[in-house]
Amino acid sequence: MNSTANLVELRDIGVRMGRTPVLRGLDLTIEPGEVVGIRGANGSGKTTLLRLVATLLRPSEGTGRVLGAGLTDPARYEIRRQVALIGHVPALYDELTLEENTKFVARFCGAGAERIAEVLDVVGLTEARTRRVRECSAGMQRRAEFARVLLGNPKIVLFDEAHSGLDASATPLVEHVIKSVVAADGAAMVVSHQEDRTAPFTDRVLELDQGRLWEAA
Amino acid sequence: MTRRRIIEIAAIAGLGGALITALVVPPERTQGDLARLLFVHVPSIWIAYLAFSVTLVTSALYLWKREMRWDRLAAASAEVGVFFTGATILIGMIWGKPTWGVWWTWDARLVLTAVLFFVYLGYLALRRSIIDPVARAHRSALFGVLAIIQIPIVHFSVVWWRTLHQQASILRPGPLQMDPPFRSAFLASVVAFTFVYVALVMRRMQLGRLEDEIEVRLASSHQEVAGAAVAPPRIEGAVDSV
Amino acid sequence: MSLPFWSQAGEIARADLRSESRTGEVMAVTIPFGAVALLLIPFGIGTDAPLLRQIGVGIYWAVVLLFGMLVALRRSAAEGPAQRDLLGLLGVDPAARFAGRALSTGVLVLAFEVVLGPIAIALYDARITGWAWLILVVPMVAAGLALLSTLIGSIVGGSGAAPALVPFLVAPLAIPMLLAATQSLEGLRLGESILAWLLLLAAMDLVLAIAGVLTARPLQEVR
Repeated sequence: MNSTANLVELRDIGVRMGRTPVLRGLDLTIEPGEVVGIRGANGSGKTTLLRLVATLLRPSEGTGRVLGAGLTDPARYEIRRQVALIGHVPALYDELTLEENTKFVARFCGAGAERIAEVLDVVGLTEARTRRVRECSAGMQRRAEFARVLLGNPKIVLFDEAHSGLDASATPLVEHVIKSVVAADGAAMVVSHQEDRTAPFTDRVLELDQGRLWEAA
Repeated sequence: MTRRRIIEIAAIAGLGGALITALVVPPERTQGDLARLLFVHVPSIWIAYLAFSVTLVTSALYLWKREMRWDRLAAASAEVGVFFTGATILIGMIWGKPTWGVWWTWDARLVLTAVLFFVYLGYLALRRSIIDPVARAHRSALFGVLAIIQIPIVHFSVVWWRTLHQQASILRPGPLQMDPPFRSAFLASVVAFTFVYVALVMRRMQLGRLEDEIEVRLASSHQEVAGAAVAPPRIEGAVDSV
Repeated sequence: MSLPFWSQAGEIARADLRSESRTGEVMAVTIPFGAVALLLIPFGIGTDAPLLRQIGVGIYWAVVLLFGMLVALRRSAAEGPAQRDLLGLLGVDPAARFAGRALSTGVLVLAFEVVLGPIAIALYDARITGWAWLILVVPMVAAGLALLSTLIGSIVGGSGAAPALVPFLVAPLAIPMLLAATQSLEGLRLGESILAWLLLLAAMDLVLAIAGVLTARPLQEVR
C-alpha cells in the first residue's frame, strides 16, 4: 500500500439503526500519522462512527475505504486485524482471568508468552493477572483492553471514551498507545468528553452533530 | 379495474360458488354432512403448502437478489400459510372427533402439518423480534431456507416412525368416495381458495409496500437524526456538551 | 499470521468451556433442573412401574431435547456486542466461531445426557439393551442438538426474545433427533437393526453442520 494514501476515507456516509438515521452525509479523511479527536453529545453517533471505521458496520449510503478496503468489500475482512477498537463496554470474558483473556487474544495475534507478560506489565496488571474479569474494577478491565491492543500492533486504533475508568496513573496509557501506533505511520480516532486530556496529542478535533462531522470551534 | 381487484372479485365469487356447490351436493355415503367440512379442510392445507413453498422460493430469491420485494412476498405468504394451516388443524379436529372418536391422531401427515404450523409461527415470531428491516429480511430468509431443508427430514422420520408403529394407530376412515358432484365441488373449492390465497397475499404485499414507502419518506433528509432527540438535562449547571 | 480454522474453533470452545467450568451453570443448575423434570413427569402421568418402564426412555429423551436447549442458552455462552466486535476484528472466521460454539455446547449437552441417563434408568427402572450402541446414539444426539441450537441462536441473533424464541424454533425441527434416539433404543430392545436411525442422525448432524458453516459469514454481515 502507498504509505501516503489516506488510511480512512469516508464520503457522504449514512448509517441507519432500524428506521432512524444516525449518521448522514458524513465525510472524513484520516492520513497516516494523524490523531483525530471526536466529540459530540450523547446519542450523536460517536460509537456508530467508530464501529463504521472499524468496518464492523456497513453504511446505508455513501462510500468509504479503510486501509484501502471498501466498507462493503470482502477485502475488509482482511484488514480488520490491523484495526483495534476499545469500546466503552469491555470485550472480555467475565469468567476468565485478565491473563487468560490476554492469552486468548494473543493466540489470534500470534503473540507469545513473553509478549503477553510484557503488555500486562506495561498496563500495570502483572500482579492482578490471575484475577477474573468479574472481580476486577472497570478501570482494571479498561487496562486489560489496552493490553490486548498493544498485542496486536494495529495500524488504526479507535478509542470510545478513551479515559473512561482510568485513574491518574493509567491516563498516560492512552497517549502511549497512540504514540506507538502513530510512530508506525498509523492513525487514531479518539472519542472523549475530556478534551483537556486528549488535546495534547490530537492533531484536530471534529464535532459530530446532526449526523456529520464539523470542524470544532 | 386493477389486477388485484379482479383477483379479489374472483376470490369472492369463487368462494360463493364453492359454498353453493358444497351445500347442494348430496351427503357423502359414509360420513354424511360431515364430509362437507373437507371442502374447506383440504383446500386449506393445499393453500398452506403452496404458501410455504412460495415462502421458501422467495426467501432464496431474497438471499440471491437482496431485493425487499421478495422478502415482502415471503412474509405475506407465510402469514397466509400460518392462518390456513391453523384452519386446517382446527377443521380437521372438528371433522376427526366424530369420525375417529378422537380430536387428534399421530398420523404422519397430521404431525407434519402441526410441525409446519409451529415452524412458520416461529418464522413470524422471529420477524417480529427484529426491528431493522434488512436484518429482519436476511435472518428470516435464512431461517426460511433452513426450515425447509429440515422439514423433509422431519417428515421422513415421522413417516418411518408411523410405519413401524402401524399396530398402534387408531381407527382410520377409508378413502373418500369421489362421485362426480363431490369431485366438482371439491375442485371448485380448491380453485376458490387459490384465488383467496392470491388475493390475501396481494393485499398483504400492498400493505408491506405502503409500510416501506412510509419508511422511505421518513428516511428523507428532513427526518431528524437520532442524536437530535437528546437535550441537555434541565438542571442547574448543565450545559450543552458541544 | 492467521490461525487455522480448527485452531480458531478450538480456542473459542476452550474459552467457552473454561467460562462454563467457573460459572457451573450447566452442572449446578441445568442438569439438576433436568433431573427434577424426570422426577416431576410421573406425577402427571402416573407412577405405575410397568408404565414408566415402558415410556421412561421416551421421557428421558424428551427431557434431553427440551432442557438440552437451555444448555445452548447458558449465560457463559452469551456473546455481547463488544465480544462479537472483538472476534470480528481479530479476524476470527465466522464459521470457526460457529464450530467452536457448537463444539462447546455439544460437550455440555453430552454431559447433560450422561448425568441424567443413570437417573432416568433408576427412576423408571428402564431396561437398556445394546449398551454399546449408546456410544454412537448419545453423542450424535448431543451433536445434533448443539448444532441446531447454535445455528438457530445465530439466526435469532442478539434479540432480547432469544431465550424464548430459540427453544420455540428449535423444538419442532428437533423431532427427528427425538424419534431417532427413542426408536434406536426401542429397536435394540426388540433386537432389530437401528442402522437406518443412526444414518438419519448422522445425516441430520451433517446437514446442520454444513448449514451452520454456510450461514456463518452472511449472518456476520447482518446487524
